[in-house]
Amino acid sequence: MTSTPNPATAAEHPLLEIRHLKKYYPITRGLLKRTVGYVRAVDDVSLTIPEGQTLGLVGESGSGKTTLAHTVMRGIDPTGGEVIFHDDVRGAVDVASANRETLHHVRRNMQMVFQDPFSSLNPRMTLLDIIGEPLEVNGIANGSVLQERVAELLQLVGLRPEYMRRFPHAFSGGQRQRIVIARALAVNPRLVIADEPTSALDVSIQAQTLNLLKELQERLHLSYLFISHNLGVVEHMSDRVAVMYVGRLVEVAPTHKLYQKPKHPYTEALLGSIPRPDPTHKKQRIAITGEIPNPANPPSGCHFHPRCPYAQAICSQESPPLREVTPGQFAACHFSEELNLKGVNDF
Amino acid sequence: MRDRNLLLEIKDLQTHFFTESGVVRAVNGVSFNVERGKTIGVLGESGCGKSVTGFSVLRLVSPPGQVVGGEILYHRMKNARSEIIDLAKLNPRGEAIRQIRGNEIAMIFQEPMTSLDPLFTIGDQLAETILVHQKMSKRSALDRSAELLDKVRLPQARDLLTKYPHQLSGGMRQRVMIAMALSGQPDLLIADEPTTALDVTTEAQILELMQSLQQEFNMAIMFITHDLGVIAEMAEEVVVMYLGQVVEKTNVASLFNEPKHPYTRALLESIPKVGEKSSGLLHTIEGMVPSPFDIPPGCPFHPRCPHFMPGICDAALPAEISLGADRSVRCVLYADQMEGDPHDKHA
Repeated sequence: MTSTPNPATAAEHPLLEIRHLKKYYPITRGLLKRTVGYVRAVDDVSLTIPEGQTLGLVGESGSGKTTLAHTVMRGIDPTGGEVIFHDDVRGAVDVASANRETLHHVRRNMQMVFQDPFSSLNPRMTLLDIIGEPLEVNGIANGSVLQERVAELLQLVGLRPEYMRRFPHAFSGGQRQRIVIARALAVNPRLVIADEPTSALDVSIQAQTLNLLKELQERLHLSYLFISHNLGVVEHMSDRVAVMYVGRLVEVAPTHKLYQKPKHPYTEALLGSIPRPDPTHKKQRIAITGEIPNPANPPSGCHFHPRCPYAQAICSQESPPLREVTPGQFAACHFSEELNLKGVNDF
Repeated sequence: MRDRNLLLEIKDLQTHFFTESGVVRAVNGVSFNVERGKTIGVLGESGCGKSVTGFSVLRLVSPPGQVVGGEILYHRMKNARSEIIDLAKLNPRGEAIRQIRGNEIAMIFQEPMTSLDPLFTIGDQLAETILVHQKMSKRSALDRSAELLDKVRLPQARDLLTKYPHQLSGGMRQRVMIAMALSGQPDLLIADEPTTALDVTTEAQILELMQSLQQEFNMAIMFITHDLGVIAEMAEEVVVMYLGQVVEKTNVASLFNEPKHPYTRALLESIPKVGEKSSGLLHTIEGMVPSPFDIPPGCPFHPRCPHFMPGICDAALPAEISLGADRSVRCVLYADQMEGDPHDKHA
């Protein structure tokens, strides 16, 4: 056990604990590929996902949220840190350092749903093959048992079992996302990492998919790591929300606190930037200036200081640690206590 | 006796695509007006024909697509002389439309990277646009380019002229596209999902920029989007499209306060509203958008509509029912509008 406090250490049973996770990509130059620096895509991130809950992860492009997801799944090897998965059979397993055999076992409990349901389904495979593949690979079912299980999964996600002989092209975006979800659920996972699962879908289909994810969570007691840039969707889905900025966590808090009483200026800026579906909100918005810095060459100190309206001298010199500001609410800002930041309804 | 504020009248526009698998009636009888200096939002999900409407105005629909019917009356005011040009009757490759396109009516797109040529500098591309429509030396065109980049608040405009598109961020590229669109001081800017590919803080900046430029240049904006938040932020008038038809025309306040068409109502209910966290499920629209090859008869929304009346809704396309000065709806529920709101009886 590490001594540093882990944000989101809710009293509930943790299912996944991410501790000081790092993923650095070397920047190489010249013929000899000399390493001249690193892109700190994920820079010392610690998070906990309790059982049966949803942790929302927001951030703009390049903030490292997808890299974090892939590192958690060990799709890519981390540079450092631990990813502790609390497995029923094997106890606490560090995914970040697990061997092949352990990984094979643990991965069955962690499944992923991607953004684009058009590129994540093989057009040459029928739904039976697509959804049945993880069952066969893991030796869970084959033959007629497999077919029954696939039929059951299709029903679970609201598709007709007769569809199992069809190919993905026959389905719309929303239906394909259901197929992707069925495939993820085939092996009875405990954790589903959903990376922008509704970003490619239309508004009316988005609602169906979000409802499906919520219903499945209830029924199957799933935990979600829900990644999105859409702050409205994340608020709707999440129990807690983490905000990333250029590879680092800047705030982690229960959803209501984060949206109503944020403690990091970047969170405030995000909340103030959302185009609100309410015309009376029109004129009160304040947009922050500048753009997301290049992660290969981030600003010194707090990465957000060049864009921060409250920045002071210390902000460019010292990187503020993530610390508990109010109970359960963690922020990485030197002035979290002093600042009276606006919540989403104050704009 | 024409309304002097009228800039564009689209009347019964029909744009069809003659594909090998059949005719797609992407725009099927669309009518609405655009007033000078105002922003009209065109709202709809993918496949509703909102982009094709924008492309039709500029006659940029390429084969197998074709504007097959209707009128696009452009009320041109030039040197204190006014004339009315039917853009739908112009040769899409002719001189007349080329004088208007990119000059008097300009367009910006969702993905600014694909709209810029990676092989030419920003300065070259801006100057080229200027030189197409205005007689001046290359040097003064570059001066003008720098001015325009200043207008869209890009710092160090002079330096930027020598940069290539890949050296710019997404937000900067969209600013360059806006600068390019402004080069002819257009009367109308057609903006097709201009912020959809951008991050939320950048989006807020671009929307704010567009609003201030609109005032400065007194141009009308046709803002095409699927995002209700962006509509609330930008639009004064709104047309809601579904499967090639305008189902509702309204001002932005009424759109959100008292949406009329069942589709509009359902769309508004299906988005998670930020700042109003509810643990329940979202309202959904049943089913999905039908295939464009197989548009339902009658009201195109009837298979998904909670108020579907067999024999009426699927028999004939409902007429456009006027609900006051600037509002109309295509739904039989409002046939006897004097009776009050028929939805209340059903609810």
